Amino acid sequence: MTAAPNATEEKDLTMTTTELTLPTVSVPAADHVGRLAAVLRSEWIKATTVRTNKVILAAAVVVGLLVSWATAVFVTGEVLTAPEVAAGSTAVTAVLAAIAGILLFSAEAQHGTLAGALTALPARWPVVAGKAVVAAGLGLALGVIGLLAGLAGSVAGGLEVGDTSGAPSTVLWVLLYTCGSAVLGLGVGMVVRHSAGAVSGLLVWWLVVEGLIVQLAPGEVVRFVPFDTGWRSLGIESEFDVPEVVAAGLSNPLHASIFWGYVLTGLAIGAALVLRRDAD
Amino acid sequence: MITVTGLTKHYGDRVAVDDLGFELAAGRVTGFVGPNGAGKSTTMRMMVGLTRPDRGEVRYDGVRYGDLAHPARTVGSVLDARCMHPGRTARNHLLAAAALGGIPSRRVGAVLAEVGLESVADQRAGGFSLGMRQRLALATALLGEPGVLLLDEPSNGLDPDGIRWMRHHLRSFADAGGTVFVSSHLIAELARFADDLVVVGAGRLLAAETVESLTSRTGQSLEESLLEMTTGTAEFASA
Repeated sequence: MTAAPNATEEKDLTMTTTELTLPTVSVPAADHVGRLAAVLRSEWIKATTVRTNKVILAAAVVVGLLVSWATAVFVTGEVLTAPEVAAGSTAVTAVLAAIAGILLFSAEAQHGTLAGALTALPARWPVVAGKAVVAAGLGLALGVIGLLAGLAGSVAGGLEVGDTSGAPSTVLWVLLYTCGSAVLGLGVGMVVRHSAGAVSGLLVWWLVVEGLIVQLAPGEVVRFVPFDTGWRSLGIESEFDVPEVVAAGLSNPLHASIFWGYVLTGLAIGAALVLRRDAD
Repeated sequence: MITVTGLTKHYGDRVAVDDLGFELAAGRVTGFVGPNGAGKSTTMRMMVGLTRPDRGEVRYDGVRYGDLAHPARTVGSVLDARCMHPGRTARNHLLAAAALGGIPSRRVGAVLAEVGLESVADQRAGGFSLGMRQRLALATALLGEPGVLLLDEPSNGLDPDGIRWMRHHLRSFADAGGTVFVSSHLIAELARFADDLVVVGAGRLLAAETVESLTSRTGQSLEESLLEMTTGTAEFASA
């Protein structure tokens, strides 16, 4: 065994060792689909074996039930049906989805398991792609659970199921919103890499910054505020809405497009950082 | 054969690893020694693609790490014993790692038995001692039955029995034809089972030779030889 020649100088550092063949595996070129499938299998195990995701799912159920039940019981000024009320908790469900997305990456970075993933898949992109798929799946699951809980809560609060003709489009916009929120959260997690910092930053943004912007900024600006524009893609109006903001509102697809612009931008920035920077 | 050539890494103005080059042969245990801040961990991280070198490369039988068809089945690494989610059980941690590396899940039971963690396989890793975490980290590295083990301070937190177990395990692995590259500050322990040494200081290669040749050349114990060799290269030194 010898010290390999350095780029700038030769060293006379010689070892005598027994040369054996390194038992590396030589196989054909990488199977990209297989690698993505491996990440998905691994992510599924990870997602289902920690308590955090179960707590987030439970929180979505509780919030869905409470918000819709309270709406059914206490909002008496207008005639509501259960499907109309069921989506009312989606604003909170979307933030829960964003938190789940954040933790999908930041928890791995924080606990050192990301290094294991990146050494197993040094190309790194399958890890990013797999996590994006899992984040989207988590967002969809949370959206569905939030809607079902909302429906149950509103029926428990005494509302009739009534006309369900608008339900399919509401479900579509809700799922697009919660799915996008989770993927946006993943992007934030990939950028920040610290669970507490990313989650608290998200909550401050959602509860304080967006609230102030919605109250103080012109409607033409508010339509570009991420979570608010995502919420408005559902087309749900409430008595708390600022009239100027409602007047400057866009169609559901346009609000959804703006929101997904943030989602894809966040994912792209996060992915670029994961691919380029050193892993902790 | 693992060939490290001209490996260089800067963090800002600080040179962490400076034009480092050495070779590691199969069937040998090679100790990687040097004072704190000498660049050992950075070098090991560059060897498995976690840290990108500014210059230089590492090849495994001529293949770059990133080009290996099955990295997890070729190189097993333990670079941080804390690398596990505290809320996940040892078995689930290994199942997730096996799935990611394309390794059959039946290997999970085998490696748990190999490192002596069968009885706590379904306990959360958050309750593990550092020694148990070291064993679980080693189990993760062994999942893919790799031919190479890269270990950064694997004896940290192990009790004397654990240190002996680790020594026998790594020795047996090398005797079976594997390559072991292990960093350690426990020089006396390393002297008991390492064949070769790579000595670094301030990111530069100071020596790469057999333990026997180093001690016979200096006429001193391994510990004294290394202390003398690395004097003045330590990032932080005693007064």
